[in-house]
Amino acid sequence: MGRQLKFNIFRYNPEDPKSVPHMESFDLEETEAMTLYIALNRLREEQDPSLQFDFMCRAGICGSCAMMINGRPDLACHTKTKNLPDEINLMPLPVFKLIGDLSVDSGTWFRAMNEKVQSWVHTDKPFDPNAEEEPMDNQLAEEIYELERCVECGCCVAACGKANMREDFMGAAAFNRIARFMMDPRDERTGTEYFEVVGNEEGIFGCLGLLGCEDVCPKEIPLQDQLGMLRRKMGWQSIRHLFSRLLPD
Amino acid sequence: MDTFYTDLLCIGAGLAGERVAVEAASRGFDSICLSIVPPRRSHSSAAQGGMQAALGNACMGEGDCPDVHFADTVKGSDWGCDQEVARLFAETAPIAVREMAHWGIPWNRVVPGTGTFYKGGKEYQKIEKKEKEGFITARDFGGTAKWRTCYTSDGTGHTLLFTMDNQVVKLGVKVHDRVEAVALIHDGQRCFGAVARCLKTGKLRVYLAKATLVATGGYGRLYRETTNAVICDGSGAILALKTGIVPVGNPEAVQFHPTGIVPTSILVTEGCRGDGGTLKDVDGKRFMDTYEPEKQELASRDVVSRWMTHHIREGKGVKSPYGDHLWLDIRHLGERHIKTKLREVDEICREFLGVDPVTQMIPVRPAQHYSMGGVRTNRDGAAYGLDGLFSAGEGACWDMHGLNRLGGNSLAETIVAGRIVGEKVADYLDGCEVTFKTELVRDFVRQEEEIISRLMAGKDGRENVYDVRNAMQDVMMDYVGIFRNATDLRHAVVQLQEIHERAKKVGLRSSSPGANPELALGMRIKGMVRLALCVAYAAEQRTESRGAHAREDYPERNDRDWLKRTLATWKEGDDLPTLNFEPNSQVWEIPPGQRGYGVSKIIPSEDPSVVGNGEASKAQEVPEVCKTPETPETN
Amino acid sequence: MFTQNVAQAKQPYRTDAYLDTFQMFSGVALILFMWSHMVLVASVNLGSRVMNSIAHFLEATYLAQIGGPMIALIFLAHFVMAARKIPFNYKEQKAMWTHSVRLNHLDTWLWIVQAVTGMIILIMGSIHMWTVLTDLPITAAKSAARIQGGWWLVFYMMLLPVIELHVGVGFYRLGVKWGWITRSNRKSLKNFENRLTIGFITIGLITLFTFYFIIKAA
Repeated sequence: MGRQLKFNIFRYNPEDPKSVPHMESFDLEETEAMTLYIALNRLREEQDPSLQFDFMCRAGICGSCAMMINGRPDLACHTKTKNLPDEINLMPLPVFKLIGDLSVDSGTWFRAMNEKVQSWVHTDKPFDPNAEEEPMDNQLAEEIYELERCVECGCCVAACGKANMREDFMGAAAFNRIARFMMDPRDERTGTEYFEVVGNEEGIFGCLGLLGCEDVCPKEIPLQDQLGMLRRKMGWQSIRHLFSRLLPD
Repeated sequence: MDTFYTDLLCIGAGLAGERVAVEAASRGFDSICLSIVPPRRSHSSAAQGGMQAALGNACMGEGDCPDVHFADTVKGSDWGCDQEVARLFAETAPIAVREMAHWGIPWNRVVPGTGTFYKGGKEYQKIEKKEKEGFITARDFGGTAKWRTCYTSDGTGHTLLFTMDNQVVKLGVKVHDRVEAVALIHDGQRCFGAVARCLKTGKLRVYLAKATLVATGGYGRLYRETTNAVICDGSGAILALKTGIVPVGNPEAVQFHPTGIVPTSILVTEGCRGDGGTLKDVDGKRFMDTYEPEKQELASRDVVSRWMTHHIREGKGVKSPYGDHLWLDIRHLGERHIKTKLREVDEICREFLGVDPVTQMIPVRPAQHYSMGGVRTNRDGAAYGLDGLFSAGEGACWDMHGLNRLGGNSLAETIVAGRIVGEKVADYLDGCEVTFKTELVRDFVRQEEEIISRLMAGKDGRENVYDVRNAMQDVMMDYVGIFRNATDLRHAVVQLQEIHERAKKVGLRSSSPGANPELALGMRIKGMVRLALCVAYAAEQRTESRGAHAREDYPERNDRDWLKRTLATWKEGDDLPTLNFEPNSQVWEIPPGQRGYGVSKIIPSEDPSVVGNGEASKAQEVPEVCKTPETPETN
Repeated sequence: MFTQNVAQAKQPYRTDAYLDTFQMFSGVALILFMWSHMVLVASVNLGSRVMNSIAHFLEATYLAQIGGPMIALIFLAHFVMAARKIPFNYKEQKAMWTHSVRLNHLDTWLWIVQAVTGMIILIMGSIHMWTVLTDLPITAAKSAARIQGGWWLVFYMMLLPVIELHVGVGFYRLGVKWGWITRSNRKSLKNFENRLTIGFITIGLITLFTFYFIIKAA
């Protein structure tokens, strides 16, 4: 006989005029190796079929199932109930638009983010199907991959004080993406072009350095180091620019 | 009713769908992708190990060329594939890989110098050449003669999908995420787009398009134990069946992956074995080296899965509350290798199992993994039966996989087929004009509205949709699994027919407006059961063993009677699919022969156009260095 | 000339970068000042003569007369820069508060500490500066007299931890924001910063004790 778990789940269906935001409690007996993926699906299938939440890969790869688990953003699929207390509070991620219950519209947010940071390799070189690939150092490829691992789950945004206050703040996922392209020699963007995207209050200079992002990232991407690097580079660039303006040659 | 007009409607925004959209968009056509999840969450992202392309940069891939890749693919398919398609695929794969590099994939590269690798638990040395430094490298995968699988650590699908979606963003291709296509709009001749349901608001929408592409992935969720994501329910094949015209090709061709973890069936990559991981039994002993002395753990997936099941049936499995399993051992690869090259595996083991693969073995057993079957198309990706309808990727039966797919060929197929089909779609759109009939659209919308209102009101009955789905999954798992026989399959068909009747009587318990997950499944369930029936019935009909389709009562590969592909359609009102057959291939560049692994007796073909291919086939023109070593059959 | 204009027109907007960079420099300056200030004041623990002679040196060289107002200016400017980040509308304040309570994450709480201590320091620091700078020269006896008055002791007992917290947290946050503190050294530097803060508060308390009990008031 497993533990008796009590789930307090945020309920609200914006499509239903009768629905008001509230917390609803469900009881469920814990089973061996139970994750929130297993628990939530059981709740939906056995207790309330209208319960909304998102899962896709259920293997920590796709980033669909981020939610606030006892106040902390994390992926539900890899959260084992045995590491949680008897009472489990589940809320949707803040910042993102609510679709219903635990489901939020992260797709729209991240598409806008990708458009804003122009998340692609900028190059004037056309692709030549008959040519060999450009060589690249394997070490560099691995370093790029390290940042490329972001799954756009939105945990860093949900854990960001600034993003909670200001909806125009870009957030750590965007900074990480920019850092990834700055590292990539195939991207021909100049420092000024990057500055234009990120060198402002909505961008890196709005970051308060609270490191919520760093501390919750389920993929453990070194976000802190990207934030620091970006601010230093962008700050240094602005100072250089200032002095070149003050001391024209 | 929101209505959207576009040149190309892509149903599905995984790698294949997006690649087609990118091609069309770069040719100046307006494209909309529908996706039931945000596009970067598509199941393509879950592919870990890599994609095959014959670049021949790594020293262990030296001398590789599209001819060898082609030959491996044909053998892997157990001569079930369309050889023209396989050839086209193998020739295009290197270009597609390099194109992805151009778009930003951080492929792992060749590091010159001496390195070690493991094969069958033994350590070997290799020396990478200085002149290949920095070129795209490759790793070993099952069923291949050369190291050919290009990779980015073990997040290859993830990086491919993100990079592809970057192109989508760059080109301004619209992606309508959380939108599910529920019916194709057609007049029996031509496809005009689709009726879709918004999974944010629950409202129906209409998409009218000059060309429609189905790229919805596989149908793993017909099975209880599957490595597939929860969204892989075969919606593309269901859309095709719903037309009554468009056939699903080879539905019975379902691949099982040897290493799903127990209990959740999350996949750990073939890269584990490619890099030297071994399979062990309850006694901690290896067994693949006795069953398959040559390829050992790296025989093709169907072979390894079958031997594992066989070994468990012999009583050599490890008992657990979730049933018997075997062990995957990668401990000897060392912490550094596991933490860098097999990082996702390390994460999955620690986070989902609480197992540290550096010091502990991983509990695994075969789970459904890939659907070779899908919407049947010709070589250009055009679906049979309806003009203006295309399909690509796992959701399609293009058919380069035949009855079995090689590891690393699925990711490759998505971007290679996406590229080729994309070009053909763009050619099709060139100068294409269509007249949309409003009454046709109205009828299709009304039909869906009717379905929704009947489900909500429970007019047809009060069957619980989850119970129906679970019953179907259990039947598929227990009777249409890795080993198949007439008794089981008959039982499965009968059971599924009963479940089909229940599926017609589903009524919802919740009536909440909006996305309503129960309604979404309710609208799909009948189609899923029909697709399951296609799989079971086609498996019953195919009285031979070929590739992943293993009949205990027909253990031989029957080239005399079964060099053909199943085409399943569903006539409304029927309780069984209609099966037709067509030849596997028009061209027999490599006549049917031994695969070099697996145990199979062959009933040879008597068709002179297949075996008596007078001209020297290309495979025989392969330069000596490229030749795949053949292993004599030992059975 | 024409092309140059075009090039300049394409320049991005840099004000945020300048302000943020200045905030950093002003923060560094104030941290350094606060540390030296503490060392100078704590010199009284070695005897009033030591403190008096240092004070005399600073005044004779006009460092106090110029430096004092300059620090005051940087102090105010730093407040203005930093205040840009503090939400002044209720909605944002509430969002930040809700977020902090929900997330219960130390670094996030520290920011609220930073904002609140900043406000307190603005008021109390101004009073302190005004009092000291309008009553030069600084002598140990005069300071002792003030503190032994009673109310000022309470004032400094409050200001001391507030300011050291703000300096300590600010020091850590600057390091994080500008990337000198990285994932690999964060833990140890945070530890170091904590010990530094406790150290300075201890020195401050000892100094206050000295002023209250030992130094003869003027």
